[in-house]
Order: sequence, then structure tokens, then C-alpha cells
Amino acid sequence: MKVTVLVLLVAVCAPIVVQAQSTPQQPLARTASAAAKIPAPGEFPPYKPPRTADGKPDFNGIWQSFVTADIDVRDHDAQPGPHPDVMGAYGAWPGGQGIVEGGEIPYKPEALAQKKANAEKRMVINITSDDRRHETGDPELKCYRPGIPRANYEPFPFQIIQSTDNIVMVYEFEHALRTIYMKEDKETPKDPPADSWMGWSHGHFEGDTLVIDSTGFVPYTWFDRAGDYHSDALHVVERYNLVSPYHIMYEATIEDPNVFTRPWKVSFPLYRRMEKNIQLVDFDCVEFVEKMLYGPYYKNSSK
Amino acid sequence: MGKRFGVHSNVWAVVIAIAAILAVPALVTAQTTSGVAGNKDKGAAPKKTWVSRTADGQPDLQGYWTSLSFTAMERPAKYGNREFLTDEEAAQIHKEGIQHSYEFTFNDLAETPVYDATVYALSAWQEGVAPNRRTSLVVDPPDGRIPPLTPEAAKVREAARKAGPNQDYADPNAPVKADVAEDLNLGERCLSFGGPPILPGAYNSNFQIVQGTGYVMIEYEWNNEIRIIPLDGRPQLSQGLHRWHGNSRGHWEGNTLVVETSNFRPGATFQGANAKTLKMTEYFTRTDQNTIEYKFTIDDPSTWTRPWSAIVPLSHMQGPIPEYDCSENNNDAVNILAGARATEKAAAEKAKNISLR
Repeated sequence: MKVTVLVLLVAVCAPIVVQAQSTPQQPLARTASAAAKIPAPGEFPPYKPPRTADGKPDFNGIWQSFVTADIDVRDHDAQPGPHPDVMGAYGAWPGGQGIVEGGEIPYKPEALAQKKANAEKRMVINITSDDRRHETGDPELKCYRPGIPRANYEPFPFQIIQSTDNIVMVYEFEHALRTIYMKEDKETPKDPPADSWMGWSHGHFEGDTLVIDSTGFVPYTWFDRAGDYHSDALHVVERYNLVSPYHIMYEATIEDPNVFTRPWKVSFPLYRRMEKNIQLVDFDCVEFVEKMLYGPYYKNSSK
Repeated sequence: MGKRFGVHSNVWAVVIAIAAILAVPALVTAQTTSGVAGNKDKGAAPKKTWVSRTADGQPDLQGYWTSLSFTAMERPAKYGNREFLTDEEAAQIHKEGIQHSYEFTFNDLAETPVYDATVYALSAWQEGVAPNRRTSLVVDPPDGRIPPLTPEAAKVREAARKAGPNQDYADPNAPVKADVAEDLNLGERCLSFGGPPILPGAYNSNFQIVQGTGYVMIEYEWNNEIRIIPLDGRPQLSQGLHRWHGNSRGHWEGNTLVVETSNFRPGATFQGANAKTLKMTEYFTRTDQNTIEYKFTIDDPSTWTRPWSAIVPLSHMQGPIPEYDCSENNNDAVNILAGARATEKAAAEKAKNISLR
């Protein structure tokens, strides 16, 4: 009897709790009316993001960038892309403004030469049953996990599933996934237990900013199709800021003393996908690259 | 006006929050005794439930889980219609299972770490499989056996047996066919390791569950395959979209997460079921801090003569789930294809030598 009363009390009160918690959002209404003119790109009026039930800014949602940095993180012209004789406009790559702060990547001289060699060999594929398979070819072409930050500006959506102890980011491209651990403990210590394609990440909040610190990367991912690359000393610090109900301002500081003379930064907005009932679907490109990767080992291949 | 009301409702919120916290143990007791509260499908939820809640009030299924099990999928004939083992039998099977798992690991040592079971197979004796008193994972039909195939499905399976020696149901002694990548099975190609349903494999049957606002995500360790389950009651996708693990929609019935899945991809279904007609319903109920009782019901009238269900206990395990970089380092595909070419070359040279003699 007493139990039933308590259950009812909680059930009845639940909507009130929700209402009470939503009161801090009231400045939203003022912001909306202040923004009744066309906003200047890159500028967002002050915004207080909605909270998860545990009081953190709520990043849950499906997000996507609209920059062309996957082709080249720096400014670049449109290009015909590979095999324009058969691919026509389907295969052409758009031009676009870069995402690198200051425009240039501070390569060490020998590393710049490697970047150029990478670009020249971006479609050279030689798959072996050892690590030599990673020596040539853009890993994206091979449908390998894109790494960070590239996964965030590939032309595919990704979903953030935010819980208290973990935040998971699931990318439509090859169902790549990263778990961001919001606490350090025995299971998820600060130091990476092994290198991985998507890195080993811990996160924390600085005010309303989600800050993610990632290390433990394999040296095989690239930043773009232009051959921009890193070593296994890569250290990425990302900052996610909800600047409107529909936008995250994203920023990543990239540090790798083996390749760059100093840390450098990329930034761009992420857009919330707003289609009704939007969801991720499968882009498991592994099946689309088999012939390219393993063709030389096929029966009656020319090799 | 907002301010005054705000103050009041904030104070009220604190009072309610405290009441809610105090009420939680009582709530659990209530649900433990009532068992199937709010559950349409009587018998779908286990009698015993254990509830801790996420910050937004969902029953908390989060964490790292393993479906490793020593229980047979189908009930061995010796148990007849017996559903449960005695405590002694259960302990004995658990002991034998651990011994088998230990032997599996140490009988599969290899020259290279890639194929060395002590490196890749964090097996059952390490992961901590809980003893299970059931005589089979299949609980319905009552004989604990998967119901017979329909005549059409039996024909399809027979054709599959003949079609590709690397595929499911093939004769294991047939010569390996590996002309092109498509001849390999989906696991060897890093395309899918199966599921749903969640079943025990020999090793690595590990999962992570994370709950965000309005979603539950299940990550399988194998190939880091992911299912994202929306809980907002949205309609299922049209038949124009197909997914490797089907497409799922979820809702809560009491403390049980119910997940309905369809839109499977032809050629990537459980036991070769018909992707067009296969519907799967899964029930996740936390029965204690370290256990989720996971039940699934498979309904595919074009494959099985009746729907059937199984219960797999999921045991809590230590995390995290590591990255499983399958296609990025798929040595299987290279070695199987290259091996087949080497075999052909050797056979051709042998034939040439014989004809020269």
C-alpha cells in the first residue's frame, strides 16, 4: 500500500521535475527573437544548450559537417577525380575553403616530402598479409577506419550517444566507432592499452564545452585525400561547443612532434540532421573494395 | 513571473528528487514482487528483476556484458522434457565448460600472435560465465529444440549446403573454394559476424551497452558491429532499406527493453532465414547487478514451422571493449585467396611434370 503510494507520487511528479529542469532554458526565447535577422556565418548569438538528465550539455543527435576537407584540409580547387573518362561528374571532387587555422600545416621539411609522396600514391594499392599494406594508398580508399579528426568531416553523418560515464560516437562510414570515457579508472586508464584507428579518448566538460583528449593512434590514417598524415605520436584535443539547437562548433588541435613543427588547429561547424525520423544506415564499404584490395589474389587475375 | 515560479518549481524539484531517491528501493521491491508489471506478454519478463536507473530514469542496462555460455542451444536428448538441471548437474556442466574453454585456448597455440588463442581468445574462464540451470538455450517449443524447417526452407538450406563450401551449412570436408572474395564467408570478409540474436560464440562474445537520450546502443566486440535502437516509437523503415543486422525499434515494457527488428539483408540472416519475412523480438531484463536475462523470439513463417524462443543470460564482464580492426588487417582474406592460388599452381606444376615424364 505504502509502496503503491510512493510509486504513484513519483509517476505523477515526473512531469513537474522535467518542467522545473527546463526553466534555465528560458533565455532561449530572447535569443531567438534577437536572431530574427540573417546571421553572419561563423557568428552565433549567445546560447545556453539544453541539459541531459545529469545536467551536462546535451550533445545527443545525428551530426554532419558540410566542408570539403575530406578531399583536402587546405583550400583547394575542384578536381576531375579519378577516371573522369567513365566517372564523369559522378566522380568529380568539389573545391572548397580549407579548415586549417592560418591556412598552412606546419610540416617538418622531410614530412612535407612524405605528404607529397602520399598524395602521388593515394590510389596505389598493394595488399599483403602484413603491415606493408598500409604503406601506400589513402586508407579511406581502402575503406579503413578514418581516424580522428577525419571521421568528423567525411561526407557521412555520425551519431552521438551521450551517457554519464561514456559518450559514444558512431560513424556511418564503415560503422567506425569511438567510445569517449568520461572518467579514468581501472577499466579505462589514462594511457592507451593499445594503438587503434579511432584512438583512445577521455573527455571532460569545461563549462559547456566537451573537451576530448585522444592518443594511442595507429600511424596509418590520413587527414585527407591530399596525403596529409601523422605518426603514432598523434595527440588530438577536440572541443565541441553547442552554439545553437542545430549546430556544434568543432575545433581540433593536432599535435605530433614527429611530423609537425608545432600544434595546429582545424575548426568547422557540425550540423544537426533534422530530417524526420533520421537515422544512420549502413555504409559498409568493405564489400565495395574487395576486388580492388584482393583482386591480385583472385583466380585468373593478371598478377 | 518566470523567476518566482522558477524558484518555487526548483524547490519543488529538489523535494521530488529526494522523494524519488527515497522511493527507489521501495519501487524495486514492488516490481520484484509484482514481476511482470506493465508487461503485455505474460512470461516475457523474468520473475526477478533488479533495477538501477539512468539519470533520465530508464532501467540501466549499461556496461560490458558477455553472452558466453556452456549451455547447448538445443536440449540434449538425455534431458527429455526437463527444463532445469539440478544444482549438482549445473555445477558439473560449468566445471566441464571451463575445462573445455581452457583446453581450447591452450590447444590453439600458434607460431604467430595473430592466430594464437592465448592472445586473441579471452575465453570463458577469464570472462566469468555464470552457471545456467537451463538444459538448453531454446525455451520454446517446450522440447527445447528449434522447430522443423518449412519444406521450402529445407530446400534452400540444402542448396546452400551444395553452393559454397565456405558458407554456413556446407560440408566441412569439401575442398575450399576461394576464386574470389565472395567465395569466403561473411566473417572472413569482415562483413558480418551475425546477429541479432545475441548468442554465445566460442570466445569474444562481448558487448557494450550505452544508453543516451532516447536511444540504446549495443556494440558487439566482433568487428565492432553496432546496433542503435531508437525508443521514440518511430515507424520501421520501408522495405527499400536493408541492414546487416536488421533495423531495430525499441520500447520499454516495465523494466524490460523490448526490441523489434526486421529489414534484414538477404544472405546475412540468422540460420539463413528469409530476410523478407524474418521478424525478431528481443527482451532485455536486468535480473541482478551482474546479469541481464536476454530472451529472443524468432518469427519467420517461411523458414520455421512455428515461432521459437531462447533465453541467453548475459553476464557482467570487465571492460572496455577494444577496437576490432577487422578489414584494416584482414590477413584471412589474403591468406585464403593466396593459398588457393598456390595450391592451384602446385597442382598445375605437378600435372606438367607428370605429362613431361
